[in-house]
Amino acid sequence: MAADHAVNTVLPDEPEKATLEGKNKVLGFWLFLGGETVLFGTLFATFIALRDQVNGGPSAQELFDMKIVAWATFLLLTSSLTSVFATMALHKHNLKAVQGWLVITVLLGLGFLGLEIYEFYHYVHEELGMTTSAFSSSFYTLVGFHGGHVAFGICWITGLIIQSMKKGLTVVTAPKFYVAGLYWHFIDVVWVFIFTVVYLMGMIGGKAVA
Amino acid sequence: MSDHTSHAPNRSGLWDWLTTVDHKKIGILYLIAGGFFFILGGVEAMLIRLQLIYPEAKFVAAGTFNELITMHGTTMIFLAVMPVIFGLMNAIVPLQIGARDVAFPFVNALGFWLAALGGLLLNTSWFLGGAPDVGWTAYATLSSNHKFSTLGTDFYVLGLQIAGLGTLIGGINFLVTIINMRAPGMTFMRMPLFTWSSFVTSALILFAFPALTVGLVFLMFDRIFGANFFNPDAGGNIVIWEHIFWIFGHPEVYILILPAFGIISEVVSTFSKKRLFGYSSMVFATILIGFLGFMVWAHHMFTTGLGPIANTLFGIATMLIAVPTGIKIFNWLLTLWGGHIRFTTANLFAVGFIPTFTIGGMTGVMLAVPPADYQYHDSYFVVAHFHYVIVGGLVFGLFAGLYYWWPKMFGKLLNETLGKWHFWTFFIGFHLTFFPQHFLGLMGMPRRVFTYLPGQNLEMGNLISSIGVIGMALGSIIFAINMVVAAKSKKAAGNDPWDARTLEWAIPSPAPEYNFAQTPLVRGLDALWTEKMAGNKGMTPAEPLGSIHMPSPSFLPFLMSLGLFVAGYGFIYAGQWGTYIVAIAGIAFTLLCMLLRSLYDDHGYHIEPDEIEEKGVKA
Amino acid sequence: MAQVSNDAMERKPKIKKDGVKPHIVTFIASIILTIIAFMATAYEVIPAGFTVPFIIILAIVQAAFQLLVWMHMDQKGHEFARVGIVTGSAVVLVTIIAFVTTLW
Repeated sequence: MAADHAVNTVLPDEPEKATLEGKNKVLGFWLFLGGETVLFGTLFATFIALRDQVNGGPSAQELFDMKIVAWATFLLLTSSLTSVFATMALHKHNLKAVQGWLVITVLLGLGFLGLEIYEFYHYVHEELGMTTSAFSSSFYTLVGFHGGHVAFGICWITGLIIQSMKKGLTVVTAPKFYVAGLYWHFIDVVWVFIFTVVYLMGMIGGKAVA
Repeated sequence: MSDHTSHAPNRSGLWDWLTTVDHKKIGILYLIAGGFFFILGGVEAMLIRLQLIYPEAKFVAAGTFNELITMHGTTMIFLAVMPVIFGLMNAIVPLQIGARDVAFPFVNALGFWLAALGGLLLNTSWFLGGAPDVGWTAYATLSSNHKFSTLGTDFYVLGLQIAGLGTLIGGINFLVTIINMRAPGMTFMRMPLFTWSSFVTSALILFAFPALTVGLVFLMFDRIFGANFFNPDAGGNIVIWEHIFWIFGHPEVYILILPAFGIISEVVSTFSKKRLFGYSSMVFATILIGFLGFMVWAHHMFTTGLGPIANTLFGIATMLIAVPTGIKIFNWLLTLWGGHIRFTTANLFAVGFIPTFTIGGMTGVMLAVPPADYQYHDSYFVVAHFHYVIVGGLVFGLFAGLYYWWPKMFGKLLNETLGKWHFWTFFIGFHLTFFPQHFLGLMGMPRRVFTYLPGQNLEMGNLISSIGVIGMALGSIIFAINMVVAAKSKKAAGNDPWDARTLEWAIPSPAPEYNFAQTPLVRGLDALWTEKMAGNKGMTPAEPLGSIHMPSPSFLPFLMSLGLFVAGYGFIYAGQWGTYIVAIAGIAFTLLCMLLRSLYDDHGYHIEPDEIEEKGVKA
Repeated sequence: MAQVSNDAMERKPKIKKDGVKPHIVTFIASIILTIIAFMATAYEVIPAGFTVPFIIILAIVQAAFQLLVWMHMDQKGHEFARVGIVTGSAVVLVTIIAFVTTLW
């Protein structure tokens, strides 16, 4: 409870779990990710059910540019690795390294987001709007929800980097870094399924499943 | 000890209630909100029964009737019983596990304000062009297409979205509280059954509510942005809504009933002066019901045409739930068996619960048989079934819990004489209202119709059913009077008015803000009873008397919820006068509040030992 | 509750099993799995009917790698994390099966 007590002393090994608040935060966030699994799972299930309903509009095969997807995948995967390095630096109590790795993570995340915005812009020009078909609605909603998560993550981690400049690495800020790292990994795990189910399966065409 | 030995912030009156992060006060706030919406839903129910009192009555118009049934269902499920459940969980669970607080006091407050303001948003639809009228299940395309539904449905979508968010974070809070905050010695298998059922209920909330979130997002996108999820003309599929709604909706039924099971277990055991019969089988049954609750949703959709295999599988899974539920019913009976039974009002409700809920469960098994369900579907038989479960089960359970824990929450006992009047009027009224509906359904009366024709043998049943409402209304009024009487009564309840068994009765009533002056050491199941049997006056402390750290109150939870509340209107009136700006501003305001919360650490304040002793730690 | 014991003041944080190696391995494994999946769809190396289950299995393997190693879900103290993710995934699995088999 008394998180503030330990602020001025030397950090323990796993500063994110040194206080009850920290432990609560980490556990609560894991459970939240369990809920997020259902959230994305429902979006996936709906996309799978509707992905062939193109309603005369462009289909996945006609539309998707796999080069962009491959680059986006690479950027996000690498950003997940750099956020691992940030968490490892956190365990070594090296604030400078934490901030450095997180800055790289954010930049890679911005690159990913830029590609996705370009991609959506491109598709809209190819006549695939939200209202075109059931496929388009479910595509934009699923991928857009993920993109929204990336955008939120970028803002969140940026905020953490900035506040850590003033607050330093304490048992109060450590859980925040740790939890943000978990969030970022989870976003990458979701993307693994998005590039598989949405893009790769889209290129194969809908006939194999559903 | 610390550089922040600030004292408890001096806050009083309304400001105190708007900023509190104390789980006991939030519990009371939940009860107030739940009570308010219970009255609204109750008035709607009375209007429904008034309209159906005799054939071709014209008290309310058909359209209004649709609004009434939609709002009655939605209000009662999401805004009345859920908050009362959360109220009891807030007031009692931390005390039962020997915790000073919940895991996330701030999030807890946020959960309440989101739920309350979401409910308020939904109900303002009455004054802003009409309430939703598409049924509480809001099936597409009725709900997704503007041609078939009014702006009311947008209130439904946004109101439930906001309230659902509050419920979700409330659920996570209780999961973490129960996992991480138990007192020394309070192992999982020593947790009281109410805590266990709150735990499983919270887990169900965690995995069920995100599905509702997604479903409501789809509906909102269809309605506001012209998406095609439920538009068959553009390849959409309306069965997806049915699936998503019930993937959420069926676990929701168990989210509601499990806490009632927990309450009944506590009450029956206390008033039989016996240990709960088959404690570990009760825990097992609770978890099993929670687990199976996710595998049965399609029994709401037998007539949708999912195919014989799906119907069979979901039918069998549904019948399986009767097994753990049966275990529970027999365990309650065997707890009562040979016990030194006291028929207090709480126990009357518990004992009334058992047969009533069993009837509801039996009709549930009848409905689980797919070919038979084709006959029962969408008839008053279904209405009778779920009211037996939700009112005869859940509401009886909640009344039992309220009579049982009222002294712990407010320090005063509810009047027993009035309580007995409450029980008998409500109990008889309930059965009068809903028992005939079984037969009305079997005779072919469809649900959700605003009237019926004379000469079809439906008159008598409907008349009795409408008369029964008087009993339930009378019971509720007596309960309201009882609250006032209790508040005016000078007699303090004392720590342990029922000679009860669990930890919450070891501390003063109402509990002090820090709950336990010293964290107790738990040495057995029924922690307090274990000490009583060992001849001890109270709990053995697990720590010396020391300074207690408390979280600071905050106005941010209310402001965050207010931001989303305002944003809700922006979306509801989307596209009308550039209201997206309102939506974006509201969300931005909420995000800003989140940022403030992150930037300014809450150092809290301390209550020092001398202060605790002043308040008296006789317990 | 947050007392840092005195000996914690002296010692340097000891780096536990959490070395760089498993993380790099996971990264390389993820890259390889991703490339295989992209290749499998771009060039029809395996029969078209098997491609979908194949790439889905690859995705699940990659997700498991990242959850267990990067997010430390394999470590002690993550029991409820596992319960949460597994239960969530089970709900999702049932949902997807229902959507794939029963919609008309």
